[in-house]
Amino acid sequence: MADEALFQFLHSELIQYIYKSGANGETENGKNITKLEAMGFRVGQGLIERFTKETPRFKDELDVMKFICKDLWTCLFKKQIDNLRTNHQGIYVLQDNSFRLLSQLSAGKQYLEHAPKYLAFTCGLVRGGLSDLGLKSVVTAEVAGMPACKFQVMILKA
Amino acid sequence: MTVHNLYIFDRNGACLHYSEWNRKKQAGISKQEEFKLMYGMLFSIRSFVSKMSPLDMREGFQCFQTSRYKLHFYETPTGLKFIMNTDLSVPNARETLHQIYSTLYVDYIVKNPLCSLGDPLQSDLFSARLDTFMKNLPYFNPRAA
Repeated sequence: MADEALFQFLHSELIQYIYKSGANGETENGKNITKLEAMGFRVGQGLIERFTKETPRFKDELDVMKFICKDLWTCLFKKQIDNLRTNHQGIYVLQDNSFRLLSQLSAGKQYLEHAPKYLAFTCGLVRGGLSDLGLKSVVTAEVAGMPACKFQVMILKA
Repeated sequence: MTVHNLYIFDRNGACLHYSEWNRKKQAGISKQEEFKLMYGMLFSIRSFVSKMSPLDMREGFQCFQTSRYKLHFYETPTGLKFIMNTDLSVPNARETLHQIYSTLYVDYIVKNPLCSLGDPLQSDLFSARLDTFMKNLPYFNPRAA
Protein backbone atom coordinates (compact mmCIF):
# COMPACT_ATOMS: atom_id res chain seq x y z
CA MET A 1 0.00 0.00 0.00
CA ALA A 2 1.13 3.54 -0.63
CA ASP A 3 2.61 5.55 2.15
CA GLU A 4 0.29 6.04 5.10
CA ALA A 5 0.93 9.74 5.48
CA LEU A 6 0.01 10.36 1.86
CA PHE A 7 -3.43 8.82 2.27
CA GLN A 8 -4.05 10.58 5.59
CA PHE A 9 -3.34 14.00 4.18
CA LEU A 10 -5.39 13.31 1.08
CA HIS A 11 -8.29 12.06 3.19
CA SER A 12 -8.27 15.13 5.46
CA GLU A 13 -8.14 17.43 2.47
CA LEU A 14 -10.97 15.49 0.81
CA ILE A 15 -13.18 16.08 3.83
CA GLN A 16 -12.34 19.78 3.99
CA TYR A 17 -13.00 20.13 0.26
CA ILE A 18 -16.39 18.50 0.45
CA TYR A 19 -17.37 20.70 3.33
CA LYS A 20 -16.16 23.87 1.68
CA SER A 21 -18.00 23.19 -1.55
CA GLY A 22 -21.27 22.46 0.25
CA ALA A 23 -23.27 25.70 0.18
CA ASN A 24 -24.06 25.99 3.88
CA GLY A 25 -21.53 23.96 5.80
CA GLU A 26 -23.59 23.13 8.87
CA THR A 27 -27.06 22.48 7.47
CA GLU A 28 -25.77 20.21 4.75
CA ASN A 29 -23.89 17.98 7.13
CA GLY A 30 -25.93 14.96 6.08
CA LYS A 31 -25.35 15.56 2.38
CA ASN A 32 -21.63 15.89 2.87
CA ILE A 33 -21.44 12.70 4.87
CA THR A 34 -23.40 10.95 2.12
CA LYS A 35 -21.02 12.22 -0.54
CA LEU A 36 -18.03 10.97 1.42
CA GLU A 37 -19.68 7.61 1.96
CA ALA A 38 -20.48 7.29 -1.72
CA MET A 39 -16.83 7.97 -2.57
CA GLY A 40 -15.75 5.34 -0.09
CA PHE A 41 -18.23 2.92 -1.68
CA ARG A 42 -16.69 3.22 -5.11
CA VAL A 43 -13.15 2.95 -3.70
CA GLY A 44 -14.15 -0.07 -1.65
CA GLN A 45 -15.52 -1.85 -4.71
CA GLY A 46 -12.31 -1.36 -6.59
CA LEU A 47 -10.09 -2.28 -3.64
CA ILE A 48 -11.87 -5.52 -2.91
CA GLU A 49 -11.50 -6.62 -6.56
CA ARG A 50 -7.75 -6.22 -6.24
CA PHE A 51 -7.35 -7.82 -2.84
CA THR A 52 -9.40 -10.91 -3.52
CA LYS A 53 -7.81 -11.76 -6.85
CA GLU A 54 -6.09 -14.81 -5.42
CA THR A 55 -8.31 -15.79 -2.50
CA PRO A 56 -10.70 -18.76 -2.77
CA ARG A 57 -14.47 -18.24 -2.54
CA PHE A 58 -15.81 -17.40 0.91
CA LYS A 59 -17.79 -20.07 2.71
CA ASP A 60 -20.32 -17.82 4.38
CA GLU A 61 -21.09 -14.35 5.72
CA LEU A 62 -18.97 -14.77 8.79
CA ASP A 63 -16.00 -15.68 6.63
CA VAL A 64 -16.46 -12.52 4.62
CA MET A 65 -16.60 -10.42 7.78
CA LYS A 66 -13.48 -12.07 9.10
CA PHE A 67 -11.70 -11.30 5.86
CA ILE A 68 -12.71 -7.65 6.18
CA CYS A 69 -11.56 -7.52 9.79
CA LYS A 70 -8.25 -9.17 9.24
CA ASP A 71 -6.95 -8.83 5.71
CA LEU A 72 -8.67 -5.71 4.47
CA TRP A 73 -8.01 -3.75 7.65
CA THR A 74 -4.39 -4.87 7.69
CA CYS A 75 -3.89 -3.70 4.14
CA LEU A 76 -5.52 -0.35 4.76
CA PHE A 77 -4.51 0.53 8.30
CA LYS A 78 -1.68 -1.92 9.05
CA LYS A 79 -3.58 -3.46 11.94
CA GLN A 80 -6.55 -5.76 12.45
CA ILE A 81 -9.93 -5.00 13.94
CA ASP A 82 -9.65 -5.50 17.68
CA ASN A 83 -13.06 -6.96 18.33
CA LEU A 84 -15.76 -8.49 16.13
CA ARG A 85 -19.18 -9.20 17.56
CA THR A 86 -22.28 -10.59 15.91
CA ASN A 87 -25.76 -11.69 16.72
CA HIS A 88 -25.64 -14.28 13.95
CA GLN A 89 -28.64 -12.65 12.38
CA GLY A 90 -26.89 -10.26 10.08
CA ILE A 91 -25.63 -7.61 12.52
CA TYR A 92 -21.89 -7.27 13.06
CA VAL A 93 -20.04 -4.79 15.22
CA LEU A 94 -16.41 -4.14 14.37
CA GLN A 95 -14.47 -2.41 17.10
CA ASP A 96 -11.17 -0.70 16.47
CA ASN A 97 -9.48 0.59 19.60
CA SER A 98 -7.11 2.91 17.86
CA PHE A 99 -8.41 3.87 14.45
CA ARG A 100 -5.60 5.18 12.30
CA LEU A 101 -7.46 8.11 10.86
CA LEU A 102 -8.52 9.33 14.31
CA SER A 103 -5.45 8.64 16.39
CA GLN A 104 -3.84 11.98 15.57
CA LEU A 105 -6.96 13.98 16.33
CA SER A 106 -7.32 13.52 20.03
CA ALA A 107 -7.22 11.01 22.84
CA GLY A 108 -10.63 11.47 24.39
CA LYS A 109 -13.35 13.99 24.06
CA GLN A 110 -11.76 16.90 22.25
CA TYR A 111 -12.98 17.29 18.62
CA LEU A 112 -15.58 14.54 19.17
CA GLU A 113 -18.22 16.33 17.10
CA HIS A 114 -15.95 16.24 14.05
CA ALA A 115 -15.27 12.53 14.30
CA PRO A 116 -18.18 11.25 12.14
CA LYS A 117 -16.81 13.11 9.11
CA TYR A 118 -13.61 11.09 9.32
CA LEU A 119 -15.44 7.81 9.57
CA ALA A 120 -17.83 8.31 6.64
CA PHE A 121 -15.31 7.40 3.96
CA THR A 122 -14.32 4.20 5.75
CA CYS A 123 -17.98 3.22 6.23
CA GLY A 124 -18.46 3.54 2.49
CA LEU A 125 -15.29 1.53 1.93
CA VAL A 126 -16.61 -1.38 3.97
CA ARG A 127 -20.02 -1.17 2.30
CA GLY A 128 -18.42 -1.17 -1.18
CA GLY A 129 -16.25 -4.12 -0.33
CA LEU A 130 -19.18 -6.13 0.98
CA SER A 131 -21.35 -5.23 -1.98
CA ASP A 132 -18.81 -6.59 -4.44
CA LEU A 133 -18.50 -9.75 -2.39
CA GLY A 134 -22.22 -10.26 -2.79
CA LEU A 135 -23.56 -8.83 0.48
CA LYS A 136 -25.80 -5.78 0.46
CA SER A 137 -25.38 -3.92 3.72
CA VAL A 138 -25.73 -0.72 5.69
CA VAL A 139 -22.64 0.46 7.55
CA THR A 140 -22.68 3.07 10.29
CA ALA A 141 -20.04 4.18 12.73
CA GLU A 142 -19.99 5.63 16.19
CA VAL A 143 -17.30 7.11 18.37
CA ALA A 144 -17.52 7.14 22.14
CA GLY A 145 -14.00 8.33 22.86
CA MET A 146 -11.25 8.75 20.36
CA PRO A 147 -9.37 7.01 18.98
CA ALA A 148 -11.58 3.96 19.54
CA CYS A 149 -14.56 3.56 17.24
CA LYS A 150 -17.19 1.00 16.30
CA PHE A 151 -18.49 0.15 12.85
CA GLN A 152 -21.89 -1.46 12.75
CA VAL A 153 -22.64 -3.59 9.69
CA MET A 154 -26.21 -4.65 8.98
CA ILE A 155 -26.49 -7.25 6.22
CA LEU A 156 -29.69 -6.79 4.24
CA LYS A 157 -31.40 -9.98 3.20
CA ALA A 158 -32.37 -9.84 -0.49
CA MET B 1 18.96 18.75 35.89
CA THR B 2 15.73 20.24 34.81
CA VAL B 3 13.76 21.82 31.98
CA HIS B 4 12.27 25.19 32.82
CA ASN B 5 10.04 26.03 29.88
CA LEU B 6 9.44 25.59 26.15
CA TYR B 7 8.31 28.03 23.43
CA ILE B 8 7.23 27.23 19.90
CA PHE B 9 7.09 30.06 17.34
CA ASP B 10 5.98 29.91 13.72
CA ARG B 11 7.81 31.65 10.93
CA ASN B 12 5.84 34.87 11.30
CA GLY B 13 6.75 35.30 14.96
CA ALA B 14 3.41 34.19 16.39
CA CYS B 15 3.80 32.11 19.50
CA LEU B 16 2.09 28.80 18.88
CA HIS B 17 2.74 27.14 22.18
CA TYR B 18 4.28 27.85 25.54
CA SER B 19 4.53 25.56 28.53
CA GLU B 20 6.57 25.75 31.69
CA TRP B 21 7.50 23.14 34.20
CA ASN B 22 9.80 24.69 36.66
CA ARG B 23 9.97 28.45 36.42
CA LYS B 24 10.76 30.23 39.67
CA LYS B 25 10.79 33.81 38.46
CA GLN B 26 8.42 35.45 36.00
CA ALA B 27 9.51 38.08 33.51
CA GLY B 28 7.48 40.89 35.00
CA ILE B 29 5.75 41.69 31.71
CA SER B 30 2.64 40.26 30.08
CA LYS B 31 2.85 36.98 28.20
CA GLN B 32 2.32 38.65 24.83
CA GLU B 33 5.19 41.03 25.46
CA GLU B 34 7.36 38.21 26.65
CA PHE B 35 6.77 36.29 23.44
CA LYS B 36 7.56 39.33 21.34
CA LEU B 37 10.71 39.93 23.34
CA MET B 38 11.84 36.35 22.94
CA TYR B 39 11.20 36.29 19.21
CA GLY B 40 12.80 39.65 18.62
CA MET B 41 15.88 38.72 20.61
CA LEU B 42 16.33 35.47 18.72
CA PHE B 43 15.92 37.14 15.39
CA SER B 44 18.61 39.65 16.30
CA ILE B 45 21.00 37.08 17.77
CA ARG B 46 20.75 34.84 14.74
CA SER B 47 21.49 37.62 12.33
CA PHE B 48 24.32 38.90 14.56
CA VAL B 49 25.89 35.47 14.80
CA SER B 50 25.76 34.88 11.10
CA LYS B 51 27.26 38.26 10.28
CA MET B 52 30.02 38.26 12.89
CA SER B 53 31.11 34.67 12.61
CA PRO B 54 34.85 34.57 11.83
CA LEU B 55 34.51 31.19 10.08
CA ASP B 56 32.01 29.65 7.70
CA MET B 57 28.86 28.87 9.55
CA ARG B 58 27.30 25.46 9.53
CA GLU B 59 24.44 25.36 11.96
CA GLY B 60 24.21 28.90 13.15
CA PHE B 61 23.02 29.91 16.57
CA GLN B 62 22.33 26.88 18.78
CA CYS B 63 22.34 27.88 22.42
CA PHE B 64 23.46 30.46 24.95
CA GLN B 65 24.03 30.13 28.66
CA THR B 66 24.07 32.44 31.63
CA SER B 67 25.18 31.71 35.17
CA ARG B 68 21.78 30.18 36.02
CA TYR B 69 20.19 28.76 32.86
CA LYS B 70 20.83 27.68 29.30
CA LEU B 71 18.65 28.46 26.31
CA HIS B 72 18.53 25.97 23.43
CA PHE B 73 17.30 26.92 20.00
CA TYR B 74 16.27 24.81 17.02
CA GLU B 75 14.78 26.00 13.76
CA THR B 76 13.17 23.67 11.24
CA PRO B 77 13.53 24.14 7.50
CA THR B 78 9.93 25.38 7.45
CA GLY B 79 10.66 28.24 9.79
CA LEU B 80 9.26 26.77 12.99
CA LYS B 81 11.34 27.73 16.02
CA PHE B 82 11.67 25.66 19.17
CA ILE B 83 13.21 27.29 22.23
CA MET B 84 13.87 25.48 25.47
CA ASN B 85 15.32 26.85 28.72
CA THR B 86 17.06 24.31 30.89
CA ASP B 87 19.57 24.39 33.69
CA LEU B 88 23.27 24.41 33.03
CA SER B 89 23.99 20.71 33.24
CA VAL B 90 22.14 19.84 30.04
CA PRO B 91 24.36 19.36 27.00
CA ASN B 92 23.18 20.50 23.59
CA ALA B 93 19.49 19.69 23.37
CA ARG B 94 19.20 20.08 19.62
CA GLU B 95 18.40 16.42 19.18
CA THR B 96 15.62 16.64 21.75
CA LEU B 97 14.08 19.65 20.09
CA HIS B 98 14.31 17.92 16.75
CA GLN B 99 12.53 14.93 18.24
CA ILE B 100 9.79 17.13 19.62
CA TYR B 101 9.30 18.51 16.15
CA SER B 102 9.37 15.22 14.26
CA THR B 103 7.48 12.97 16.61
CA LEU B 104 5.10 15.31 18.39
CA TYR B 105 4.47 18.34 16.22
CA VAL B 106 4.32 16.54 12.88
CA ASP B 107 2.23 13.68 14.19
CA TYR B 108 -0.28 15.53 16.27
CA ILE B 109 -0.54 18.97 14.72
CA VAL B 110 0.38 18.68 11.06
CA LYS B 111 -1.56 15.47 10.63
CA ASN B 112 -4.54 16.79 12.50
CA PRO B 113 -6.85 18.35 9.93
CA LEU B 114 -8.70 20.28 12.60
CA CYS B 115 -5.62 22.25 13.61
CA SER B 116 -4.84 24.93 11.05
CA LEU B 117 -1.13 25.63 10.82
CA GLY B 118 -0.40 29.11 12.08
CA ASP B 119 -3.02 29.10 14.82
CA PRO B 120 -2.07 28.64 18.46
CA LEU B 121 -1.92 24.92 19.17
CA GLN B 122 -5.10 23.71 20.77
CA SER B 123 -4.90 19.97 20.55
CA ASP B 124 -5.11 18.45 24.03
CA LEU B 125 -3.46 15.35 22.70
CA PHE B 126 -0.41 17.34 21.69
CA SER B 127 -0.11 18.99 25.10
CA ALA B 128 -0.51 15.71 26.93
CA ARG B 129 2.06 13.93 24.79
CA LEU B 130 4.49 16.84 25.06
CA ASP B 131 4.19 16.76 28.81
CA THR B 132 4.84 13.02 28.94
CA PHE B 133 7.78 13.37 26.59
CA MET B 134 9.38 16.08 28.69
CA LYS B 135 8.91 14.18 31.89
CA ASN B 136 10.60 11.18 30.36
CA LEU B 137 13.69 13.08 29.40
CA PRO B 138 16.71 11.82 31.31
CA TYR B 139 17.50 15.30 32.49
CA PHE B 140 14.07 16.30 33.68
CA ASN B 141 13.78 16.44 37.42
CA PRO B 142 11.07 18.68 38.85
CA ARG B 143 12.63 18.98 42.26
CA ALA B 144 15.96 20.38 41.13
CA ALA B 145 16.96 23.88 42.08
